[in-house]
Amino acid sequence: MGAPEKSQANANSMQRVKVYRLNEDGKWDDQGTGHVTIDYMERSEELGLFVIDEDDNETLLLHRISSDDIYRKQEDTIISWRDPEYSTELALSFQESTGCSYIWDNICSVQRSLHFNSLNNETFHNANSELRELPAVELSTLPLILKTVAESGIADQMRLTELILSDQDFFRKLMGLFRICEDLDNVDGLHMLYKIVRGIILLNSPQIFEKIFGDDLIMDIIGSLEYDPEVPQVQHYRNFLKEHVVFKEAIPIKDSLVLSKIHQTYKVGYFKDVVLARVLDEGTVANLNSIIHGNNAIVVSLLKDDSTFIQELFARLRSPSTSAESKKNLVYFLHEFCSLSKSLQMVQQLRLFRDLMNEGIFDIVSDALQSQDKKLVLTGTDILNLFMNQDPNLLRTYVVRQEGIPLLGLLVKGMITDFGDNMHCQFLEILRSLLDSYTLSGAQRDTIIEIFYEKHLGQLIDVITASCPSEGNAQSSSCYGERVEPPTVAKPEVLSNICELLCFCVLHHPYRIKCNFLLNNVIDKVLLLTQRREKYLVVAAVRFVRTILSRHDEHLINHIVRNNLLKPIIDAFVGNGNRYNLLNSAVLELFEYIRKENLKSLVKYLVDSFWIQLVKFEYLSSVHSLKVKHEQFLESFGTKGTVNVSDNRKRGDERALEKEEEDYFNEDSDEEDTASASMSNTQKVQTQPQAVLSNGVAASQPSSRSVGLVDYDDDEDDEDYKPPPKKQPDTSEEDEGTMESLKLKRKLASKDREPELTKRQRLGKNPKPKESVFAAFCTTLNPSVLPNKKAAISMHSSRTADGVKNSDDVSQENDSAASRSCSNNNSSDEEDRKENEPASSRGSSDCLHGTLENRQLGAEDCPLIPPKSSPEMAVNGS
Amino acid sequence: MSSDLDRQIEQLKKCEPLKESEVKALCLKAMEILVEESNVQRVDAPVTICGDIHGQFYDMKELFKVGGDCPKTNYLFLGDFVDRGFYSVETFLLLLALKVRYPDRITLIRGNHESRQITQVYGFYDECLRKYGSVNVWRYCTDIFDYLSLSALIENKIFSVHGGLSPAISTLDQIRTIDRKQEVPHDGAMCDLLWSDPEDIVDGWGLSPRGAGFLFGGSVVSSFNHANNIDYICRAHQLVMEGYKWMFNNQIVTVWSAPNYCYRCGNVAAILELDENLNKQFRVFDAAPQESRGTPAKKPAPDYFL
Repeated sequence: MGAPEKSQANANSMQRVKVYRLNEDGKWDDQGTGHVTIDYMERSEELGLFVIDEDDNETLLLHRISSDDIYRKQEDTIISWRDPEYSTELALSFQESTGCSYIWDNICSVQRSLHFNSLNNETFHNANSELRELPAVELSTLPLILKTVAESGIADQMRLTELILSDQDFFRKLMGLFRICEDLDNVDGLHMLYKIVRGIILLNSPQIFEKIFGDDLIMDIIGSLEYDPEVPQVQHYRNFLKEHVVFKEAIPIKDSLVLSKIHQTYKVGYFKDVVLARVLDEGTVANLNSIIHGNNAIVVSLLKDDSTFIQELFARLRSPSTSAESKKNLVYFLHEFCSLSKSLQMVQQLRLFRDLMNEGIFDIVSDALQSQDKKLVLTGTDILNLFMNQDPNLLRTYVVRQEGIPLLGLLVKGMITDFGDNMHCQFLEILRSLLDSYTLSGAQRDTIIEIFYEKHLGQLIDVITASCPSEGNAQSSSCYGERVEPPTVAKPEVLSNICELLCFCVLHHPYRIKCNFLLNNVIDKVLLLTQRREKYLVVAAVRFVRTILSRHDEHLINHIVRNNLLKPIIDAFVGNGNRYNLLNSAVLELFEYIRKENLKSLVKYLVDSFWIQLVKFEYLSSVHSLKVKHEQFLESFGTKGTVNVSDNRKRGDERALEKEEEDYFNEDSDEEDTASASMSNTQKVQTQPQAVLSNGVAASQPSSRSVGLVDYDDDEDDEDYKPPPKKQPDTSEEDEGTMESLKLKRKLASKDREPELTKRQRLGKNPKPKESVFAAFCTTLNPSVLPNKKAAISMHSSRTADGVKNSDDVSQENDSAASRSCSNNNSSDEEDRKENEPASSRGSSDCLHGTLENRQLGAEDCPLIPPKSSPEMAVNGS
Repeated sequence: MSSDLDRQIEQLKKCEPLKESEVKALCLKAMEILVEESNVQRVDAPVTICGDIHGQFYDMKELFKVGGDCPKTNYLFLGDFVDRGFYSVETFLLLLALKVRYPDRITLIRGNHESRQITQVYGFYDECLRKYGSVNVWRYCTDIFDYLSLSALIENKIFSVHGGLSPAISTLDQIRTIDRKQEVPHDGAMCDLLWSDPEDIVDGWGLSPRGAGFLFGGSVVSSFNHANNIDYICRAHQLVMEGYKWMFNNQIVTVWSAPNYCYRCGNVAAILELDENLNKQFRVFDAAPQESRGTPAKKPAPDYFL
């Protein structure tokens, strides 16, 4: 645009095409490669497509754009048509989709104007004969030009555009007049020029934009727009651009084309956002945006292909002799560079990001994250965010490398750091993305999750314990690996972010979380949040427990019951009194959930332990129904039991169960002996519970519990495999008072057996038993919940921002599958997942597609006109 | 602090967005206030009820011109503050700032557009990205959306909600057990309250063409009003060219407060003023004249690398 010859050069990749022609055999012949332009046909006012051979500058193709509907756009890079002159099919295959859509848009607009002309030729041309040519551009004719511009209807606008474009000197002359008027303080003239220029811009012609945004004209054009007759004082746009705007060069850019594009982009943006912000219609804004977009693409792709530039950039970033100040600027530059790369095609952007990773961008970010300068830290996370949105796997591969491990720690640290006034939700966002078990698979994920749980979960929990008024939480001393420094009291928003991440973990890593929570009393610690003054933190703690319950995990539920973990929630609820607020609703919802899901042990526990406190809330139907449910359980228990329920009977039954479990474990470990040697770890784990169980009565004692669990902890290092649920040694006898629950338990035990067997069979065949077991573990989550990667990338923030919503989906999955998956967590099988996955990803990409289409259509949800398909519906449906 | 807030309100009234740090502080304060509200928030008369705004900032200023300034007038906004218009950020932040400054004078309830998913498609997300260069502001605002109340009850007599009724809800009490702090779900009571529409031709419940919520007929409204001893339901959610529309024998009214919706629908807007005796007066108003739309020019970055 700026310099015509050069823009030819840079447009190279944009407009590079292969020409194909369909031959008589029905095959496509490659006619050669060249560059396509749209221009006037020789000695004619008609426009045509020209393709000039890139090797010999010969004309490869000359095609008059027809008003007939013969053009088709295929995929994103092909335009084809049946050519009347060649009388065969021709096709242009573009190197870049942006180039393709540019030419396509131009063909469409040429067609539109052809239609207008053919429709209105007679009447229109006769009625507006003055539009046959523009008045000469002179001071005296300004009113006439203004009249022409201001009073042209839609059809005239096409003609007007053509006339303006056909006079090569039009704008030069017009701007000459502007300078004269400005010199002479000719206010009337300046006002007219403002209106003329504004009117011409609103013609929204890409070709006109190309002219007026050229280096030689753009400042005068902006100058002429300083004289808006409706604004009392003259604006000073040019002064701002010349005097106040600083073009920062972190690294000198030598390519003059790149420089010219960079400056032009800034000015076009300024033009759009400031100079004409009030005036522009959506269509014009869209065209200006696409100019900016196109420029950005050119700038980024020229810079990225300039290997010396990139190398110098990274060399300076690494060099110890570079000053802190200029390193900071280099990081800011890097951020802008990554951010502009959104204008590239997906594939190119991905390639660029991969290259940047190989150059060591993550090392640079790690350095930035350790800076004292908060702005620099946040810029570092912004860069990571751009990577996460593009392809989360790049950062994941880095984080699992030796040199990358600290970065995860820095992110965790950032999440719990007080950033004062600055927003820093990015940390949570990035961590969530790294830990997302739905979108990733394989060893990488396992490693990240392992590192996270080993080193960082404890840190997060410690922040909570340190920040809550302790109520005998002397056990707050950390039992985790890494403790950086004693955490200080954190800001409430930090605590709220931690709680959100924990809820996310509950849904994504049920096994990790289970083991970890049981081992480290995490639930009790998180519930310390109920002591906080900020009610939203109290509610967050309630929601955390609610999320755990949605897992339907017997052991966690038993853990909650046994350790009286709902007490802080009930206390908070009672303390809240009759106030109908979010806390009140959240706890009532928790009650409702427990009741509707028939979580008997919890119903019993709640009513038995807290009825005295809850009775004064019996007027609330949720509380009342809980009591009723409890009574129903007692009743059904009474009718089922033939003999009067006595302690004796209960004991007997319990013993029977113990026997059964014992047998079961024996049998299990017998089989294990025959299993392959690689299973020795598993075996160790499996035999452990047996030992504990053989202690029988002692099983419910806290001491025995910790014995068993400590052992798992040791195993954790080399083995993700968790013992199947039935191993749980601490199913407390005291808490299991009814036959109902015993029956349930037995059922679970027998259910566990089947998956156990199938798994073992699979292990026999599988050369890598560990992965497969873990993979099986990780797939209990219904595959239909898994968003596919493509959707995850495009809908990035929705995914991650939707933690709560996800939790709902999952809990609904659980609702339906409750009976099946109640406690046999490891029963999921891989085949199942594989079968379902493609279907589910297809589904979600379809949805995404639909959404985009709807967005393009710009359809309304305006219900006055009954919509055929509401766009909101599509979104909602997705 | 309140002087800070007053300054921010003045700034927002000029349609100038706040700094990120100010947005963060505002949101944290708003969270503390909103968490204390109920799913059916009680509202006293007199109060002025407003429907969808959709980021039409200058038209909302017209609304305040017609209805009186907050806090002189008490307001109840029925949701859909954001999306579609050009100034979702300024619109929502102004309302939120007013809420924090005068918590008892203005009530904001949630509309179906106060949602992460919807705002990513209908403009608020892009607007935040454009105006702040990152989506942090969007994240904070959408977190606040989760805390917004779901409905309001004026003097025990007028039930107000963004969309309409739900087959899962026959009494107001049932709304109490929703943990509203979540993204708007795809179905269930919370979803329906924000998405449903009354429909003449439907008897009972019908499928909604929107793909979420339901259509509900006059009989549903009658029995709901009767069961809960309310006079009528006031809701928004649907464009009505006259600004408001009664249905089902004055048992439900739609109030729409975005004039010339999307800057091209050509409709007028309305607000419903209730005096202390619940006497109704609809105030109809038109879109702000073009001239009154100040320069929304965003401040250009003073420096650039690329």
